[in-house]
Amino acid sequence: MSSSYKSFSPSRIWALTMSTVTQLLRMRILVFLLVISVVVVGASFAFPTFNAAQQLKMLKDVCFGLEQLFAYVIAMVATALLLPKDVEDRTLYTILAKPVPRLDYLLGKLFGVLIVIGGGLVLLDIMLSGVLWIKQGYVLEDTLAGLHMQLGGTPPPEAIAAATADVEKQGLTWALHVGVLAIFLKASVLVSLTLLISCIATSTLFSVITSFCFFIMGHGETLFREYFFKGGTAWWQYLAAAVLAIFCPDLSLFDVVDAVTEGRAVLLTDALHMTGIGLLYTGGYMVVAYLLFVEKEL
Amino acid sequence: MKRKLQALVVFILLGICKLPLEQRTATSLRSHEMLYAPLDYSARDAVGQMGFAATLGGLRSLVASITYLMGYTAFEETNWSRVDMLFGITTMLQPRFDVYWDDAAGHMAYDAASNYLYDESRPTLYRKQLYRENVQRGIDILNEGLRHLPKSDRLHTSLGHLYARRVEPRNHELAGEHYLLAYQNGGLPVMERLAAYEWAQLNNAPERWKQAYTILKRSYGMGLRAPGTMNFMHSLENKLNIPPALRMR
Repeated sequence: MSSSYKSFSPSRIWALTMSTVTQLLRMRILVFLLVISVVVVGASFAFPTFNAAQQLKMLKDVCFGLEQLFAYVIAMVATALLLPKDVEDRTLYTILAKPVPRLDYLLGKLFGVLIVIGGGLVLLDIMLSGVLWIKQGYVLEDTLAGLHMQLGGTPPPEAIAAATADVEKQGLTWALHVGVLAIFLKASVLVSLTLLISCIATSTLFSVITSFCFFIMGHGETLFREYFFKGGTAWWQYLAAAVLAIFCPDLSLFDVVDAVTEGRAVLLTDALHMTGIGLLYTGGYMVVAYLLFVEKEL
Repeated sequence: MKRKLQALVVFILLGICKLPLEQRTATSLRSHEMLYAPLDYSARDAVGQMGFAATLGGLRSLVASITYLMGYTAFEETNWSRVDMLFGITTMLQPRFDVYWDDAAGHMAYDAASNYLYDESRPTLYRKQLYRENVQRGIDILNEGLRHLPKSDRLHTSLGHLYARRVEPRNHELAGEHYLLAYQNGGLPVMERLAAYEWAQLNNAPERWKQAYTILKRSYGMGLRAPGTMNFMHSLENKLNIPPALRMR
């Protein structure tokens, strides 16, 4: 081993990250993105009979639903495929036969998936913002024309201001981007959790199913945790709630998308809290994944 | 083996440490109305197994949009009990979006009520009874919505309209109250005047007449001379026995 060898090398991690990105792009993820984009554009023409606020909310709901689907499916399924595929293709042996620490390998996988999900979300966010901005313009024009017709003349300035505020509240706001950040954070947690499960799993199917179970339980973790803090009636119920609350991440903490699509603004402190929790989960699960992977017999 | 034990210990420690942080973050997000409390298990029957799973998967808003669309289809088919049920689910999923409450109430108090009233296949008395019941259903929906969103000018306005135009006999007192609340919570200035118009029509309510007169006088002072406003103002001047010298012209 040369003396210039570093046990932790960002450039090595970057090389592994880019190879993971290439590996994922070969799985035809871009086609998935293309289909979503077509649906987003299609959704912008839908529901013309609804009122202005409802048309914009429907568009946001459809787009955010698709963004979530994209992010969570990739986070669970693609991540679960990574390790077994590397074993199957024998790439893993080629990589680890070189002086590549297993931590670098895991981080490369994590960042690779995150770059693909993040890149996809940014593209979808740009598309949603554009479509929403155009739709907002049309809807506002229609609303003001309706107001004009209804009042049979020039509407009073306060009526114009109220209608404009109503449409703008449901239109393009900064909070929408925070909603996308929340989706990314939840996906990051899922990626690290799925990597952790992959380290102990014997098959891809096991990883996908277990991740999916954690995904569902993670959205109900609030119930377990609140039951635990309130105190149960029977000791075994209390114990079960505690175990579930300890083992599952609370994924519902990232569900600010509902409030965002309702047109609410997100406070900076809330965004920071959410980011902090997301980093804690991701970091913590990666430490556990490393401890499991470092001893794994391949 | 040693590493596996370490992994388990770290996982459990992380799980224990995260609990208070999660609790604090959830409380903070809920207090800022950024998060909803988890759905009650009984909601499963209402939204169906798939819908419940989707809401658990963080797609609550999308499920609400889908039930809204289903409700709209039921409205086109004039299936009113289904409209009520589906809009009930929609508002249960996203109770902080006032448009859902408003639409749900509108479908019952206007669409369903009118549909029953003009349905000549039923006896007249029964039609009127169904009309009243559906208008009342609209009022109940709006009151439930106001429990979640007490500061929604949209819901106060709609409730004001129902009391002023749909209930029989008209409830000018409550209509005025809700119009005024709509104005006080960011509604258009016309809402304040509508409150005054409603109170001006009350019988034997000198306090409300005075309030209404003050509102209309202020509008007059701001240059408003619409015929409706002037009529109500003159009627109030008569009721309050305002001396001729102080009356508006």
